[in-house]
Amino acid sequence: MIFWEIAKRNTKIHLLRSTLAMLGIVIGVVAIATMGILGNSMVLAVSDSLRTVGDSVIVTPHAGGSSHGFGGGGGGATSLKITDQQFQQIKRASAPNVAIPVLQTSDRMEFGVGQDDIVAAIYGMNPDDVPDLLTLTAGSYSRAASGCLVGAQFADDNHLNVGSRITVGTDGDKGTLRVTGIIEERGMAFDVSTDSAIVVTKDWFDAAYNRDDYDKVVVKVKNLDDLPVVKTAIEKQMNKRDKVVDVMDTRKTMETIFQTFGQITTFVSAIGGISMIVAGVSILNIMMMSVTERIKEIGIMRSIGAQRREVMSMFIYEALILGIVGSLIGGVLSLLGGYAVSSLLLQTTKYLFVPSSLVSIVYGVSFGIVVSLVCGFYPAWRAANLNPIDALRHE
Amino acid sequence: MTSVADDQPVMSFRDVVKVYPLPAGDVTALNRVTFQVDRGEFISIMGPSGSGKSTLLNLMGCLDTPTSGDIYISGTRTGDMSDRDLTNLRRDRIGFIFQYFNLFPLLNIIENVTFPMMLKSQRAVDPERGREVLRAVSLEEPLFTHTPIELSGGQQQRVAIARALINNPDILLCDEPTGNLDSKTGAGIMDLMTELNRKGTTIIMVTHDQHIADYSHRTIRIADGRIVE
Repeated sequence: MIFWEIAKRNTKIHLLRSTLAMLGIVIGVVAIATMGILGNSMVLAVSDSLRTVGDSVIVTPHAGGSSHGFGGGGGGATSLKITDQQFQQIKRASAPNVAIPVLQTSDRMEFGVGQDDIVAAIYGMNPDDVPDLLTLTAGSYSRAASGCLVGAQFADDNHLNVGSRITVGTDGDKGTLRVTGIIEERGMAFDVSTDSAIVVTKDWFDAAYNRDDYDKVVVKVKNLDDLPVVKTAIEKQMNKRDKVVDVMDTRKTMETIFQTFGQITTFVSAIGGISMIVAGVSILNIMMMSVTERIKEIGIMRSIGAQRREVMSMFIYEALILGIVGSLIGGVLSLLGGYAVSSLLLQTTKYLFVPSSLVSIVYGVSFGIVVSLVCGFYPAWRAANLNPIDALRHE
Repeated sequence: MTSVADDQPVMSFRDVVKVYPLPAGDVTALNRVTFQVDRGEFISIMGPSGSGKSTLLNLMGCLDTPTSGDIYISGTRTGDMSDRDLTNLRRDRIGFIFQYFNLFPLLNIIENVTFPMMLKSQRAVDPERGREVLRAVSLEEPLFTHTPIELSGGQQQRVAIARALINNPDILLCDEPTGNLDSKTGAGIMDLMTELNRKGTTIIMVTHDQHIADYSHRTIRIADGRIVE
């Protein structure tokens, strides 16, 4: 009613002062919301890259202990392997989930006459296991020893299609493979990073590199809630006396990564929050000024029958006007700020309009309003509790 | 117009003492003051500076409470009332008129006049009641939507009188109502107050000016915190 009207008019009559106070809130909201959007976009971007690997337990030879592998004895990290016997133990421990043994190396490759050769990763897997781990976008899973699958990025970079040929090894000494399928893009992965690699059959790998032990075992867990159980079962089975293998629960690792990103987001938002506190102090300052200027007016109001709470409400309304208008403007500008930082730092704005990013704006706006309200409270309380006689005498 | 019975004093002071405790020692501003104001009276209060006039005015206006003694406004004892009740008493029973008019610069004339009415009803009010009272104090209609700063001193004081009258108070308390006006405008305001009193409004007026005090029916003289006449 009338006190709201007076608050509105007082804000308008001191437009410059009000605008400056609102500007502080605008900056605070933009800082908090933009940092929130950036942090969330980063989490989503990483999450997209890692989305295919959240359901696995990865078993690798323990780098710090003794090696029981085929190539053991050298003691170097590169010679650490998982033997077939150990794989069978892992398989039993993780049943009924699928355990997939993976061989891994890298070698030179050529794609045709006149083209430069490159060095790329090669994964060796049982043809039966491949469909459990990899999805194709073109071609088919090959059972033939000379067939191979190539990662989407690899195919793109080297202009390969289904049917293309790849010569492997120095001067092609390992033989020639025919591309039978293109693997769907998987992003960054804890198990097998196939985007820039080729996948061959275990038999071809054994023949080419004279190896039949494994670099890692990937256990695909059907029920995600079983991930810790499977991890524990493998550790119990394998690391009875000495630590033979390292077992990584990818979901747990992802949770840790997201938690870290969450902490970074909170930290940068908190830095934005400092600017909001500064804005709040500016509102406090301006409201104190407003009260001081209007002491006599407060005295008149109180003398003709305005209650303390009514005088208080007038100043609270004023702080709210500054807070709400400033926060809403800040909210709109946060979208622009979020767009700018996403474009500049992440090279994509596709995460800007998702709810978890937009909620940062809601947080920023809400925080702006709450800070304005809290900072307006003390001056309003002071105004309401002025002695009417002293206030009337004030010049 | 008033809610008080005709045979009951609108205001009465009984042995009222007001002491201000100061570091240098207590100062007795009012010492056993007793008087009463009957309905329809027009009283002026005179006295030199420091005599206790302002303290008396603050107590009459329920802006302060006595150290001892009793004050009754329209039969209600004010001594034990809460701040909230005293505020409501000021709003409903007392109309204030100040030397410097004290209108709200952010509100227009109609809003200034209806302000106490809005405090009482807690909602928007019919501006026609404000216009009615403004016409009663002889303010020209075109000025009703102006802001106070656009009005002359005399016009502002008429608005202040209209504001004081809007809730039909039992008493009008006036603090040097012509103190900030030239003599001709001041005479116009005093004629208006005389007319209001003739229609039944009880008026208590603090003044330094004997000529202004001559408009009243009775003068209470105060010196050193005591009524001397």
